[in-house]
Amino acid sequence: MTLTKSLPATALALILATPLAAQELRFTVWTGNDAHLAMLNGIAESFKESHPDVTVNFETIPAGDYIQKLTFQLAGGNPPDLGWMFEDSMPAFVAAGAVQELTPALEGAEGYDLADFSEPAMGLWKDGDAIYGVPFSTSPFMIYYNKDMFDAAGLEDPLALAAKGEWDMDKFREVAKALKDSGDAYGFEFKDGQGYDTRIMHAIMPPIRAYGGYAWNEGECGFNKPEAVAAITQLHEMIFEDGSIVPPGEQGDYFSGGSAMTINQISRASRMAEAGFNWGIAPLPTGPAGASPIIGQAGLVVFSESDKPELAKEFIAHMTSAENVGVMAQFFPPARKSVLESATFTEANSLIPAEQMAGVSAAINEGNVLPSHQNSPQIGAALKPKFDALWRADADVQASLDSVCDAIQGDL
Amino acid sequence: MAVTDTTETTARKPRAPWLTLRRREAIEGWLFVSPTLIGFLIFFLGPLIAVVFYSLTEWNLLSQKSTYVGLANYTDALRDNPDFWHVIRNSVIFAAGLVPLNMALALGLAVALCRPGKGVVFFRTVFFAPVITSAVAWAIVWKFLLQGEAGAVNQMLAGIGIDGPNWLREPNWAMFAVIVTRVIKMVGLNMILYIAALQAVPRDYEEAARLEGANSWQIFRMVTWPLLAPTTLIIMVITTIGSFKVFDHIYLMTGGGPENGTLVLAYYIYEQAFEFFNIGYAAALAIIMFVIVLALTVVQLLLRQKGSS
Repeated sequence: MTLTKSLPATALALILATPLAAQELRFTVWTGNDAHLAMLNGIAESFKESHPDVTVNFETIPAGDYIQKLTFQLAGGNPPDLGWMFEDSMPAFVAAGAVQELTPALEGAEGYDLADFSEPAMGLWKDGDAIYGVPFSTSPFMIYYNKDMFDAAGLEDPLALAAKGEWDMDKFREVAKALKDSGDAYGFEFKDGQGYDTRIMHAIMPPIRAYGGYAWNEGECGFNKPEAVAAITQLHEMIFEDGSIVPPGEQGDYFSGGSAMTINQISRASRMAEAGFNWGIAPLPTGPAGASPIIGQAGLVVFSESDKPELAKEFIAHMTSAENVGVMAQFFPPARKSVLESATFTEANSLIPAEQMAGVSAAINEGNVLPSHQNSPQIGAALKPKFDALWRADADVQASLDSVCDAIQGDL
Repeated sequence: MAVTDTTETTARKPRAPWLTLRRREAIEGWLFVSPTLIGFLIFFLGPLIAVVFYSLTEWNLLSQKSTYVGLANYTDALRDNPDFWHVIRNSVIFAAGLVPLNMALALGLAVALCRPGKGVVFFRTVFFAPVITSAVAWAIVWKFLLQGEAGAVNQMLAGIGIDGPNWLREPNWAMFAVIVTRVIKMVGLNMILYIAALQAVPRDYEEAARLEGANSWQIFRMVTWPLLAPTTLIIMVITTIGSFKVFDHIYLMTGGGPENGTLVLAYYIYEQAFEFFNIGYAAALAIIMFVIVLALTVVQLLLRQKGSS
């Protein structure tokens, strides 16, 4: 073969050979935060110790568009290999066969210790015994309070009340009203002020669980059962009689001093630095059913369309090893018991004192996730107009909740 | 021999060139339109035809399972799904509220602002500015202004002794609010079209009518308004089509609520396609919307023809 003939052949061989040697994993996330991405890239870098030729590219899709764009990428033949997954989207992805089973890969990973993950935290990511996702963030909902407003009203704050065992739903109503009556701000704001729109479940489930109720269970709707009705009645009275919860159509942002309390996850503490008032976090108020902490989760999954599934699974095992879960704990509360109990976690958050972080650890250990369903989007759409009708001053709570159950029964 | 010679001569004669001037011009023409034409075929006609096929399937995007179901999506929408008729009703109410209000206001503003005068340019700019304002910013600001008690609109109403409703939380008021805020946003465009048409009305006609003793209202009614008819028709057609296609405004202001009171067709299609991932069903709804808009346009054109004859 002459030189001129062999050159193109060699070039072709090189082009073909290169991608085989160096592999890329496409990893979709919904964070665009520089500190988060730097941490993720650090974990990808440490993966190179065992897989020198593998590059992991983190791609940010904003949370609001995440599921939509992800689904179109999967269906459009441009699939990422792995990514983050919202808790409420997970059942639909599992049911549709859009994510791969991880059990054998995790069990086979060296030194992984699968049993270290807290049992309730794994519930959402399994179908029977098969694991389809690994939670990387298990973040309990806590009460954020404006300490200055409590002091000004001469009230004990929720953390002090919780320490005395007096922080329950009745007390919650009492202080919310006292706060509203003594100042310009509302007593309580639902999560991010969206309790009547996109965050209905976040608004209603903490009290429903505190009263011992449930949303649905094995195809049966629980919203119109006595416990849930009692919980919603309390909320309804707080909104329309006491005027202590920011009512529908009004704004009362906690972070800018519009409300004295709100409910949110600890990641929101990052906003408190610039809030300009003294604050704290406390557990959710207990109810007739005792304490019932609620956690919100996000997990890691490998998509069925990935052409490098085994490599992607290895990366998930790497990312959720005890060591890396410890690294991620600075932003994302862990589901691994060993990390949860360690001092590194309670001291990891520079904004929240260790005594308040202890409450966070307890809530992760005992907390349950929000109700989830493979028809979540349909249930959400069917439920919303019925709740719109409930959140009116003259609404009959029992009748409204009956109609909620009628509306969602078909999707359950 | 002579005969043979002749044939040979004919055969040897140079053939007429293939690239005649006519062909050349045709090729050039096609080349010139090809960028647009290719774009049209790939990005417009292709998807349009694809939507027709998708509408005959049950296709869940997430599981990527697609099965041919014939006209099942259409019968489900038109016969079995009560939500569909509720949504159509909302779309009709939206259009029926928006189109006359928008056109009346546009015409009124145009009449007031068509003659040169002091401050005319300023007011034209003021009324046109919302058209080029970001829809997102517009919706967010209005959402803020329309709060129940703390909102600026209700504060102003309270100032004159009116107890305003919780605008975006009551189904009927929410529909009213989205219509009015949409009209304020879009009226400037129709105003400009009417101003252009008014300026094209020959002054002679008006003067002639005035000499005959007609007053301003009679001149407007008998001279100007008939001459505006072609513009009125085109404005009516585009405003109607636009009102049936409204999506962003609803998405941002009410999300279809409260109690599905502002759930219009385009938003419902979005929900089916991008939240439930029922692409087949959403495609069928899109075809239905296409047919509705087409039918309305044809009716308006026919009315116009009837009116002019």
